[in-house]
Amino acid sequence: MTVPATSDADAQAASDVSRTQEAILAAYAELIEELGTDDVSFRLIARRAGVGERTVFRNYPTRVDLLLATAAWIEQRIFPRQESTSIFDTPLAIRAAMESYDQRPELAHVVAETTMRGISGAAPSPRRARLEQMIDAEIPSLGRAERIAIVAALSHLDSAATWVTFHREFGMSRRDIADAAAWAAEAVLDPVRSRVG
Amino acid sequence: MAEGVDTPTAILAHAAAALREHPFDDISYRTLGDAVGVSERTVYRHFPTRSHLLEGLAGWIEATEFPFPPFVTMGQFQDAARARFHAFDSSPAFAFVCARAATISPTGEAEPTFFTRALVAMLATNHPSLNERDLRRVAAALRYFASAPFWARMRTGFDMSAAEMEDVFDHTVAQVLGDRWRASETEMGASRRDGR
Repeated sequence: MTVPATSDADAQAASDVSRTQEAILAAYAELIEELGTDDVSFRLIARRAGVGERTVFRNYPTRVDLLLATAAWIEQRIFPRQESTSIFDTPLAIRAAMESYDQRPELAHVVAETTMRGISGAAPSPRRARLEQMIDAEIPSLGRAERIAIVAALSHLDSAATWVTFHREFGMSRRDIADAAAWAAEAVLDPVRSRVG
Repeated sequence: MAEGVDTPTAILAHAAAALREHPFDDISYRTLGDAVGVSERTVYRHFPTRSHLLEGLAGWIEATEFPFPPFVTMGQFQDAARARFHAFDSSPAFAFVCARAATISPTGEAEPTFFTRALVAMLATNHPSLNERDLRRVAAALRYFASAPFWARMRTGFDMSAAEMEDVFDHTVAQVLGDRWRASETEMGASRRDGR
Protein backbone atom coordinates (compact mmCIF):
# COMPACT_ATOMS: atom_id res chain seq x y z
CA MET A 1 0.00 0.00 0.00
CA THR A 2 1.17 3.48 -0.68
CA VAL A 3 0.70 6.60 1.34
CA PRO A 4 -2.31 8.47 -0.07
CA ALA A 5 -1.10 11.02 -2.57
CA THR A 6 -1.40 14.59 -1.36
CA SER A 7 -2.82 17.28 -3.62
CA ASP A 8 0.62 18.74 -4.21
CA ALA A 9 1.99 15.36 -5.12
CA ASP A 10 -0.82 14.99 -7.66
CA ALA A 11 0.00 18.23 -9.36
CA GLN A 12 3.65 17.25 -9.31
CA ALA A 13 2.89 13.83 -10.72
CA ALA A 14 1.02 15.25 -13.66
CA SER A 15 3.84 17.56 -14.65
CA ASP A 16 6.65 15.02 -14.62
CA VAL A 17 5.32 11.68 -15.70
CA SER A 18 7.70 9.31 -17.43
CA ARG A 19 7.05 8.15 -20.95
CA THR A 20 5.86 4.78 -19.65
CA GLN A 21 3.49 6.45 -17.21
CA GLU A 22 2.22 8.72 -19.95
CA ALA A 23 1.41 5.66 -22.07
CA ILE A 24 -0.43 4.04 -19.15
CA LEU A 25 -2.43 7.16 -18.28
CA ALA A 26 -3.35 7.85 -21.89
CA ALA A 27 -4.43 4.23 -22.33
CA TYR A 28 -6.60 4.33 -19.22
CA ALA A 29 -8.17 7.65 -20.27
CA GLU A 30 -8.98 6.13 -23.66
CA LEU A 31 -10.51 3.04 -22.07
CA ILE A 32 -12.57 5.14 -19.65
CA GLU A 33 -14.17 6.83 -22.63
CA GLU A 34 -14.91 3.46 -24.20
CA LEU A 35 -15.95 1.44 -21.15
CA GLY A 36 -16.36 3.69 -18.11
CA THR A 37 -14.16 3.56 -15.01
CA ASP A 38 -15.51 0.34 -13.54
CA ASP A 39 -14.91 -2.34 -16.11
CA VAL A 40 -11.33 -1.62 -17.02
CA SER A 41 -8.83 -4.22 -15.79
CA PHE A 42 -5.13 -3.52 -15.27
CA ARG A 43 -4.49 -6.19 -17.84
CA LEU A 44 -6.49 -4.37 -20.47
CA ILE A 45 -4.75 -1.09 -19.63
CA ALA A 46 -1.35 -2.77 -19.88
CA ARG A 47 -2.19 -4.23 -23.26
CA ARG A 48 -3.48 -0.91 -24.60
CA ALA A 49 -0.38 0.91 -23.28
CA GLY A 50 1.95 -1.71 -24.74
CA VAL A 51 3.57 -2.51 -21.40
CA GLY A 52 3.50 -5.46 -19.02
CA GLU A 53 0.84 -5.70 -16.36
CA ARG A 54 3.57 -5.65 -13.70
CA THR A 55 4.79 -2.31 -15.03
CA VAL A 56 1.35 -0.86 -14.43
CA PHE A 57 1.31 -2.20 -10.85
CA ARG A 58 4.83 -0.97 -10.19
CA ASN A 59 3.84 2.58 -11.18
CA TYR A 60 0.33 2.52 -9.74
CA PRO A 61 -0.04 -0.05 -6.97
CA THR A 62 -3.78 0.46 -6.55
CA ARG A 63 -6.72 1.34 -8.72
CA VAL A 64 -7.20 4.56 -6.75
CA ASP A 65 -3.56 5.58 -7.37
CA LEU A 66 -4.07 4.99 -11.07
CA LEU A 67 -7.38 6.86 -11.20
CA LEU A 68 -6.02 9.93 -9.40
CA ALA A 69 -2.92 10.06 -11.59
CA THR A 70 -5.11 9.70 -14.68
CA ALA A 71 -7.44 12.49 -13.54
CA ALA A 72 -4.47 14.82 -13.03
CA TRP A 73 -3.11 13.87 -16.44
CA ILE A 74 -6.52 14.49 -18.08
CA GLU A 75 -6.83 17.97 -16.52
CA GLN A 76 -3.35 18.84 -17.78
CA ARG A 77 -3.39 17.31 -21.23
CA ILE A 78 -7.01 17.09 -22.33
CA PHE A 79 -8.43 20.17 -20.58
CA PRO A 80 -5.52 22.62 -20.45
CA ARG A 81 -6.29 26.22 -19.49
CA GLN A 82 -5.01 29.14 -21.42
CA GLU A 83 -3.09 31.14 -18.84
CA SER A 84 -5.10 34.22 -17.81
CA THR A 85 -3.19 37.43 -17.24
CA SER A 86 -6.03 39.28 -15.55
CA ILE A 87 -8.64 38.18 -13.03
CA PHE A 88 -11.16 39.67 -15.47
CA ASP A 89 -10.09 37.07 -18.05
CA THR A 90 -11.36 34.22 -15.85
CA PRO A 91 -14.92 34.25 -17.22
CA LEU A 92 -13.47 33.70 -20.70
CA ALA A 93 -11.23 30.90 -19.44
CA ILE A 94 -14.23 29.32 -17.73
CA ARG A 95 -16.28 29.53 -20.91
CA ALA A 96 -13.52 27.78 -22.87
CA ALA A 97 -13.10 25.14 -20.15
CA MET A 98 -16.84 24.31 -20.19
CA GLU A 99 -16.72 23.86 -23.95
CA SER A 100 -13.79 21.46 -23.67
CA TYR A 101 -15.45 19.45 -20.87
CA ASP A 102 -18.55 19.12 -23.01
CA GLN A 103 -16.52 17.53 -25.79
CA ARG A 104 -15.24 14.75 -23.48
CA PRO A 105 -18.08 14.09 -21.01
CA GLU A 106 -16.73 10.84 -19.53
CA LEU A 107 -13.38 12.43 -18.79
CA ALA A 108 -15.04 15.54 -17.34
CA HIS A 109 -16.90 13.31 -14.88
CA VAL A 110 -13.67 11.58 -13.84
CA VAL A 111 -11.95 14.90 -13.21
CA ALA A 112 -14.96 16.23 -11.30
CA GLU A 113 -15.44 13.17 -9.10
CA THR A 114 -11.80 12.72 -8.10
CA THR A 115 -11.75 16.26 -6.66
CA MET A 116 -14.66 15.38 -4.36
CA ARG A 117 -12.81 12.81 -2.25
CA GLY A 118 -11.34 15.05 0.43
CA ILE A 119 -7.63 15.18 1.18
CA SER A 120 -6.98 11.72 -0.25
CA GLY A 121 -8.39 12.80 -3.62
CA ALA A 122 -7.25 15.16 -6.37
CA ALA A 123 -6.69 18.86 -5.62
CA PRO A 124 -10.11 20.57 -5.85
CA SER A 125 -8.81 24.11 -6.44
CA PRO A 126 -5.66 23.82 -8.53
CA ARG A 127 -5.85 27.41 -9.78
CA ARG A 128 -6.41 29.05 -6.41
CA ALA A 129 -2.84 30.43 -6.06
CA ARG A 130 -2.94 31.90 -9.56
CA LEU A 131 -6.29 33.61 -8.87
CA GLU A 132 -4.94 35.08 -5.63
CA GLN A 133 -1.86 36.33 -7.43
CA MET A 134 -3.91 38.09 -10.11
CA ILE A 135 -6.41 39.60 -7.71
CA ASP A 136 -3.65 40.89 -5.40
CA ALA A 137 -1.82 42.47 -8.33
CA GLU A 138 -4.90 44.11 -9.82
CA ILE A 139 -7.00 45.03 -6.80
CA PRO A 140 -4.58 45.37 -3.88
CA SER A 141 -7.11 47.37 -1.87
CA LEU A 142 -9.58 44.48 -1.66
CA GLY A 143 -10.63 43.46 1.86
CA ARG A 144 -9.77 40.00 3.14
CA ALA A 145 -13.34 38.65 3.26
CA GLU A 146 -14.23 39.86 -0.21
CA ARG A 147 -10.96 38.57 -1.65
CA ILE A 148 -11.52 35.04 -0.36
CA ALA A 149 -15.18 35.07 -1.42
CA ILE A 150 -14.24 35.96 -4.98
CA VAL A 151 -11.32 33.54 -5.25
CA ALA A 152 -13.36 30.68 -3.76
CA ALA A 153 -16.35 31.35 -6.02
CA LEU A 154 -14.21 31.56 -9.16
CA SER A 155 -12.36 28.36 -8.19
CA HIS A 156 -15.66 26.59 -7.78
CA LEU A 157 -16.93 27.81 -11.15
CA ASP A 158 -13.71 27.02 -12.98
CA SER A 159 -14.07 23.27 -12.55
CA ALA A 160 -15.44 20.16 -14.19
CA ALA A 161 -18.12 19.89 -11.47
CA THR A 162 -19.74 23.02 -12.92
CA TRP A 163 -20.12 21.32 -16.27
CA VAL A 164 -21.43 18.15 -14.60
CA THR A 165 -24.02 20.00 -12.49
CA PHE A 166 -25.32 22.28 -15.24
CA HIS A 167 -25.48 19.34 -17.63
CA ARG A 168 -27.14 16.89 -15.25
CA GLU A 169 -29.42 19.15 -13.24
CA PHE A 170 -30.47 21.54 -15.98
CA GLY A 171 -29.98 19.54 -19.17
CA MET A 172 -28.13 22.48 -20.66
CA SER A 173 -26.42 22.36 -24.05
CA ARG A 174 -22.71 23.10 -24.48
CA ARG A 175 -23.44 26.69 -25.41
CA ASP A 176 -25.77 27.23 -22.47
CA ILE A 177 -23.37 25.70 -19.95
CA ALA A 178 -20.50 27.87 -21.20
CA ASP A 179 -22.75 30.93 -21.10
CA ALA A 180 -24.18 30.26 -17.63
CA ALA A 181 -20.79 29.52 -16.06
CA ALA A 182 -19.11 32.58 -17.60
CA TRP A 183 -22.11 34.73 -16.67
CA ALA A 184 -21.92 33.64 -13.02
CA ALA A 185 -18.18 34.42 -12.97
CA GLU A 186 -18.90 37.89 -14.39
CA ALA A 187 -21.50 38.42 -11.67
CA VAL A 188 -18.98 37.43 -8.99
CA LEU A 189 -16.49 39.97 -10.40
CA ASP A 190 -19.04 42.78 -10.83
CA PRO A 191 -18.48 44.57 -7.51
CA VAL A 192 -14.72 44.90 -8.04
CA ARG A 193 -14.76 45.89 -11.69
CA SER A 194 -14.21 49.57 -11.02
CA ARG A 195 -11.69 49.12 -8.21
CA VAL A 196 -8.61 48.16 -10.20
CA GLY A 197 -5.31 49.71 -9.07
CA MET B 1 -31.55 -3.56 11.48
CA ALA B 2 -35.02 -2.13 11.17
CA GLU B 3 -37.74 -4.68 10.44
CA GLY B 4 -39.53 -4.97 7.16
CA VAL B 5 -36.80 -3.19 5.23
CA ASP B 6 -36.21 -4.43 1.69
CA THR B 7 -32.83 -5.88 0.74
CA PRO B 8 -31.40 -2.90 -1.22
CA THR B 9 -32.35 -0.52 1.60
CA ALA B 10 -30.76 -2.85 4.16
CA ILE B 11 -27.59 -2.97 2.05
CA LEU B 12 -27.47 0.84 1.87
CA ALA B 13 -28.08 1.21 5.62
CA HIS B 14 -25.17 -1.15 6.29
CA ALA B 15 -22.96 0.64 3.80
CA ALA B 16 -23.75 3.94 5.55
CA ALA B 17 -22.88 2.39 8.93
CA ALA B 18 -19.62 1.05 7.46
CA LEU B 19 -18.73 4.57 6.26
CA ARG B 20 -18.18 5.56 9.87
CA GLU B 21 -15.18 3.19 9.95
CA HIS B 22 -13.93 2.90 6.37
CA PRO B 23 -13.70 5.03 3.25
CA PHE B 24 -16.26 4.17 0.59
CA ASP B 25 -13.70 2.51 -1.67
CA ASP B 26 -12.76 0.01 1.06
CA ILE B 27 -16.30 -1.23 1.62
CA SER B 28 -16.56 -4.60 -0.12
CA TYR B 29 -19.65 -6.22 -1.60
CA ARG B 30 -18.85 -9.35 0.37
CA THR B 31 -18.89 -7.51 3.70
CA LEU B 32 -22.19 -5.89 2.79
CA GLY B 33 -23.70 -9.24 1.84
CA ASP B 34 -22.50 -10.82 5.10
CA ALA B 35 -23.90 -7.95 7.14
CA VAL B 36 -27.32 -8.18 5.53
CA GLY B 37 -27.37 -11.96 5.35
CA VAL B 38 -27.48 -12.27 1.55
CA SER B 39 -24.93 -13.51 -0.95
CA GLU B 40 -22.39 -11.27 -2.64
CA ARG B 41 -24.20 -12.04 -5.88
CA THR B 42 -27.40 -10.60 -4.49
CA VAL B 43 -25.57 -7.37 -3.64
CA TYR B 44 -24.28 -7.25 -7.22
CA ARG B 45 -27.76 -7.87 -8.55
CA HIS B 46 -29.03 -4.75 -6.79
CA PHE B 47 -25.92 -2.64 -7.40
CA PRO B 48 -24.22 -3.93 -10.56
CA THR B 49 -21.27 -1.50 -10.28
CA ARG B 50 -19.70 0.59 -7.54
CA SER B 51 -21.17 3.64 -9.26
CA HIS B 52 -24.63 2.19 -8.66
CA LEU B 53 -23.74 1.60 -5.03
CA LEU B 54 -22.37 5.14 -4.66
CA GLU B 55 -25.51 6.65 -6.17
CA GLY B 56 -27.80 4.50 -4.06
CA LEU B 57 -25.87 5.26 -0.91
CA ALA B 58 -25.88 9.01 -1.58
CA GLY B 59 -29.64 8.89 -2.17
CA TRP B 60 -30.13 7.07 1.14
CA ILE B 61 -27.87 9.54 2.98
CA GLU B 62 -29.53 12.60 1.41
CA ALA B 63 -32.94 11.35 2.46
CA THR B 64 -32.09 10.26 5.99
CA GLU B 65 -29.25 12.59 7.05
CA PHE B 66 -29.44 15.73 4.94
CA PRO B 67 -33.06 16.35 3.97
CA PHE B 68 -33.47 19.76 2.35
CA PRO B 69 -36.43 21.46 4.08
CA PRO B 70 -39.15 22.84 1.80
CA PHE B 71 -38.66 26.46 0.76
CA VAL B 72 -40.88 28.93 -1.08
CA THR B 73 -38.89 32.15 -0.64
CA MET B 74 -35.30 33.07 -1.36
CA GLY B 75 -34.68 33.62 2.35
CA GLN B 76 -35.89 30.12 3.21
CA PHE B 77 -33.75 28.66 0.44
CA GLN B 78 -30.65 30.42 1.76
CA ASP B 79 -31.36 29.34 5.34
CA ALA B 80 -31.80 25.74 4.22
CA ALA B 81 -28.56 25.79 2.22
CA ARG B 82 -26.61 27.26 5.14
CA ALA B 83 -28.07 24.72 7.57
CA ARG B 84 -27.01 21.93 5.27
CA PHE B 85 -23.38 23.13 5.19
CA HIS B 86 -23.39 22.69 8.97
CA ALA B 87 -24.99 19.26 8.68
CA PHE B 88 -22.28 18.30 6.15
CA ASP B 89 -19.63 19.54 8.60
CA SER B 90 -20.93 17.24 11.32
CA SER B 91 -20.90 14.16 9.04
CA PRO B 92 -18.07 14.72 6.57
CA ALA B 93 -17.83 11.08 5.47
CA PHE B 94 -21.48 11.17 4.43
CA ALA B 95 -21.13 14.56 2.76
CA PHE B 96 -18.16 13.46 0.64
CA VAL B 97 -20.17 10.48 -0.59
CA CYS B 98 -22.94 12.88 -1.66
CA ALA B 99 -20.41 15.15 -3.38
CA ARG B 100 -18.88 12.22 -5.25
CA ALA B 101 -22.25 10.82 -6.29
CA ALA B 102 -23.28 14.25 -7.61
CA THR B 103 -20.30 14.29 -9.98
CA ILE B 104 -19.89 10.69 -11.22
CA SER B 105 -21.00 9.70 -14.66
CA PRO B 106 -24.67 8.83 -14.04
CA THR B 107 -25.56 5.14 -14.27
CA GLY B 108 -29.00 5.83 -15.72
CA GLU B 109 -30.85 8.64 -17.38
CA ALA B 110 -29.59 11.86 -15.78
CA GLU B 111 -32.51 13.68 -14.23
CA PRO B 112 -32.76 16.89 -12.28
CA THR B 113 -33.18 16.27 -8.58
CA PHE B 114 -36.27 17.38 -6.68
CA PHE B 115 -34.15 20.12 -5.11
CA THR B 116 -33.40 21.59 -8.56
CA ARG B 117 -37.05 21.55 -9.60
CA ALA B 118 -38.09 23.20 -6.32
CA LEU B 119 -35.50 25.91 -6.81
CA VAL B 120 -36.59 26.68 -10.37
CA ALA B 121 -40.23 26.79 -9.25
CA MET B 122 -39.41 29.13 -6.35
CA LEU B 123 -37.51 31.52 -8.64
CA ALA B 124 -40.21 31.46 -11.32
CA THR B 125 -42.90 32.21 -8.75
CA ASN B 126 -41.02 35.00 -6.99
CA HIS B 127 -39.61 36.56 -10.16
CA PRO B 128 -42.34 36.16 -12.79
CA SER B 129 -40.78 38.80 -15.03
CA LEU B 130 -37.46 36.96 -15.25
CA ASN B 131 -36.73 35.76 -18.81
CA GLU B 132 -36.06 32.07 -19.42
CA ARG B 133 -32.29 32.38 -19.92
CA ASP B 134 -31.70 34.47 -16.82
CA LEU B 135 -33.95 32.20 -14.79
CA ARG B 136 -31.90 29.15 -15.73
CA ARG B 137 -28.58 30.91 -15.23
CA VAL B 138 -29.60 32.15 -11.78
CA ALA B 139 -31.05 28.76 -10.81
CA ALA B 140 -27.96 26.88 -12.03
CA ALA B 141 -25.59 29.11 -10.07
CA LEU B 142 -27.68 28.96 -6.88
CA ARG B 143 -28.06 25.20 -7.16
CA TYR B 144 -24.35 24.72 -7.66
CA PHE B 145 -23.33 26.89 -4.71
CA ALA B 146 -25.83 25.14 -2.41
CA SER B 147 -24.52 21.67 -3.31
CA ALA B 148 -22.39 19.03 -1.62
CA PRO B 149 -19.64 19.58 -4.24
CA PHE B 150 -19.43 23.23 -3.13
CA TRP B 151 -19.06 22.13 0.49
CA ALA B 152 -16.41 19.56 -0.51
CA ARG B 153 -14.35 22.05 -2.52
CA MET B 154 -14.48 24.73 0.16
CA ARG B 155 -13.49 22.24 2.84
CA THR B 156 -10.65 20.53 1.00
CA GLY B 157 -9.36 23.32 -1.20
CA PHE B 158 -9.85 26.24 1.19
CA ASP B 159 -9.91 24.61 4.67
CA MET B 160 -13.20 26.35 5.33
CA SER B 161 -15.72 25.58 8.04
CA ALA B 162 -19.46 25.72 7.33
CA ALA B 163 -19.58 29.23 8.83
CA GLU B 164 -16.85 30.44 6.46
CA MET B 165 -18.50 28.89 3.40
CA GLU B 166 -21.72 30.65 4.31
CA ASP B 167 -19.93 33.92 3.54
CA VAL B 168 -18.85 32.70 0.09
CA PHE B 169 -22.34 31.37 -0.55
CA ASP B 170 -24.09 34.59 0.57
CA HIS B 171 -21.69 36.75 -1.41
CA THR B 172 -22.23 34.70 -4.58
CA VAL B 173 -26.01 34.58 -4.16
CA ALA B 174 -26.17 38.36 -3.76
CA GLN B 175 -24.04 38.89 -6.87
CA VAL B 176 -25.92 36.38 -9.01
CA LEU B 177 -29.28 37.84 -8.06
CA GLY B 178 -27.99 41.40 -8.42
CA ASP B 179 -30.68 44.02 -8.76
CA ARG B 180 -33.38 41.37 -9.00
CA TRP B 181 -32.85 40.57 -5.33
CA ARG B 182 -33.20 44.19 -4.25
CA ALA B 183 -36.15 44.62 -6.63
CA SER B 184 -37.99 41.64 -5.12
CA GLU B 185 -37.26 42.88 -1.60
CA THR B 186 -38.93 46.16 -2.53
CA GLU B 187 -41.85 44.35 -4.16
CA MET B 188 -42.31 42.26 -1.05
CA GLY B 189 -42.14 45.39 1.08
CA ALA B 190 -44.66 47.10 -1.20
CA SER B 191 -47.14 44.24 -1.16
CA ARG B 192 -46.88 44.04 2.59
CA ARG B 193 -47.73 47.74 2.78
CA ASP B 194 -50.58 47.33 0.28
CA GLY B 195 -52.04 44.50 2.32
CA ARG B 196 -52.22 46.62 5.39
